[in-house]
Amino acid sequence: MTVCTRMRGHLGLALLLLLSAAVESNSMSPPGKPVLLGCRSPEKETFTCWWEPGSDGGLKTTHRLFYERERLEGKHECPDYRSAGRNSCFFDRDHTSIWVDYHLTVVASNELGNTTSDIFKMDVMEIVKPNTPENVTLLVMKREDNLYLHVRWEPPYNTDTKSGWVTIKYELRVKQEKSNEWKEYTSGTETHINLYNINPGTLYAVQVRCRLDHGSWSEWSNSTSVNTPDYPHNEKLFWILVSMLSAVPFITAMCILVMKRKNVKQYLLPPVPGPKIRGVDVQLLKRGRSEDVINALIINQSFPPMVAWKDQIEEYLIVSDDGLLLDPSSSQKRKKSLIIPAGFHLDLGIQCKEPTPVQRDLQKAEERKNEMDNFVKANTSLTEGNLSDMEPPQPPTQKQLFPIASFVKTTDQSPSKHNSAAENTVKPLANCGYVDIQRHENAKEVDVIEVDYSRVKEVSGDNILILQRGNIPGYMDIQRQKENIPEDYSRVKEVDGDNKVLLQRQNASTDSSCREKGNHYTDCTNQKLRNPHVTGPSKVGVCTELIGSGYVDTIPAPPLM
Amino acid sequence: MPGNIRSVSAVRVVLLCLVFCRRLTIIGAAPICTNGQAGCHVLSLANLFDRVIQHSARMHGISNDLHSEFEQYFLPSKNQVGRVSRNCHTSTILTPNGKENAQRMAREELTEVILKLLVAWGDPLWHFHQTLEMSDMVHELRKGVEKVAEKMQMLGIIVNSVSSQASPEALLPSDSAEWRLMKDYDLLYCFRRDSNKVQNYLKILKCRIVPEHGC
Repeated sequence: MTVCTRMRGHLGLALLLLLSAAVESNSMSPPGKPVLLGCRSPEKETFTCWWEPGSDGGLKTTHRLFYERERLEGKHECPDYRSAGRNSCFFDRDHTSIWVDYHLTVVASNELGNTTSDIFKMDVMEIVKPNTPENVTLLVMKREDNLYLHVRWEPPYNTDTKSGWVTIKYELRVKQEKSNEWKEYTSGTETHINLYNINPGTLYAVQVRCRLDHGSWSEWSNSTSVNTPDYPHNEKLFWILVSMLSAVPFITAMCILVMKRKNVKQYLLPPVPGPKIRGVDVQLLKRGRSEDVINALIINQSFPPMVAWKDQIEEYLIVSDDGLLLDPSSSQKRKKSLIIPAGFHLDLGIQCKEPTPVQRDLQKAEERKNEMDNFVKANTSLTEGNLSDMEPPQPPTQKQLFPIASFVKTTDQSPSKHNSAAENTVKPLANCGYVDIQRHENAKEVDVIEVDYSRVKEVSGDNILILQRGNIPGYMDIQRQKENIPEDYSRVKEVDGDNKVLLQRQNASTDSSCREKGNHYTDCTNQKLRNPHVTGPSKVGVCTELIGSGYVDTIPAPPLM
Repeated sequence: MPGNIRSVSAVRVVLLCLVFCRRLTIIGAAPICTNGQAGCHVLSLANLFDRVIQHSARMHGISNDLHSEFEQYFLPSKNQVGRVSRNCHTSTILTPNGKENAQRMAREELTEVILKLLVAWGDPLWHFHQTLEMSDMVHELRKGVEKVAEKMQMLGIIVNSVSSQASPEALLPSDSAEWRLMKDYDLLYCFRRDSNKVQNYLKILKCRIVPEHGC
């Protein structure tokens, strides 16, 4: 038994040895395939080829280069493996022929075998790439205050450019220190060049390369740099002197100006008289114009002077229904009347057309049933006493017709549509569509806070309005809203006789009415659009919603009340 | 193509201008040539050389472009393994294939080689593509080189007359049909090579004979 085991042991050992031997032999192999990388001739007289070896297969591998050549019999080996370094082959002049084909192969061999690379075909004519030019020098030169760079170099090493065998061409590029852009110049066959467009105070870098005939360009030479000098010192001095000299008269001029600044100020900025506004703004009542307007409208009426406006005495404006304010006499007899508080400042900027377009508009408005422009404003001060209070003497019966350029346009042919007093329809007097009620800040005497409207229920007789109970807030006067003049309105309680309206004492909040104002204003604008003749800073004084509703503008403090 | 022709004619105009300008600006030399003045002849020979060298450079450039375009479009696989010897029909013409060989060669021989090459390429190019101006260029270059040879002979630079030997019939007696067998690609390749030879030989000749003018 022991013999058997011993034998088995030996066998095992032998097997192991064999296995190890086998394993070892498997790690070795013939060499991998080498690759020819390329060849290059620097001067068209010699050339060098390089290859890349494959794996060595774990054994010592040698590489050999063989070539066949056109017009040369047989296969030859590389004449020089050393001169050009590892894995290279250098062909000297005796072994170099131009304009003939070479077929090159590299063979790698080790103990286990050989491996041959692919055939590499080449002609020396095609692989010419020169060395870089040598000794590139850079000088800053100056000629007649002009700076220029003088660049000089030498032909590449070991290259014969004199025999006409090759024609060399140079190229250089220049860079300023800060930028990354190179500017290129060709030099031809010359080995120097002058660069003229250079800036002082900069660092310049220059590189040169070359090419033989139609071959490849060489690599760029190493960068050579030089600093160009700054502007010379005496130039700076010159400019300093010039600036100082020019500063002297400037300083003297400034001193004179400062000393005489009052005079200068008066000369340059003469004082402008400021506007003086006393009371009611005079500008809107341009005398001459207002007279013209009034003459056109109301014949032979004398109007109160501007002073009357200041007192803010309000009067009613009575507009008759036969459409013409031109006829003051007709104003006496009216069936329907529209009462406009004359105390309001009316915007004269409105242009009024002739009555005939009014008639036209009237018809138009008739078609549009929704157009009812009525409003009534009542003024507590519409009393005879008030009238007489007004400074300009007025006939008491005569209703004041303050210069107005605008009229309330009222059209209402279907009073049933509105639950307000439809009798308030008045034929449009003119084509203007609003009554601009303005209060000015000088209206100190008037202390209106709110606007309070009431509907006119019925108009009876002349100058009598019967108003509905109930407050219908509405507002037409935008101007007032803008100017934020507090207004105080009260309801009309009773109309008493001619020119007398009895009012309720009531103060509604301004805010609510203001708010209302906003809502109604939009309606107003809609209406306004239908009246193209309304011009100027006018607001539509009449709104559809206010048809039939009227408001009574109350001005407290009339002593007669 | 027309661009190249235009540039060639522009080159010619420039050269003509150079010739006249040189004649006008050079002081001390004989501005107006007569046949007896040696200095004037040398000048004009250098100019003649310049002219033909420019012409040959242009021709080689065109042949280079033609070949690379042909290779790019028709033969993407460049490294076709074939026989080492290329079937150029001018292979029979012995040409120096290195700088030393070319410099050692006698002037007459070199001139003769140039002329042989130029003669050999006139017909094949015409048959290759009639509309190419290459054939015309080759013919004109050949005439120019012949003029140079005449000039050299007149000046005593070369002894034997070359031009008489450059007749096409004498140079290619029997293998005139060989070029018909060449494929287009090989034809272009051979022409590129031969035009480079012509340019190089002319430059060597010039720098040997009139070296002081830009060598």
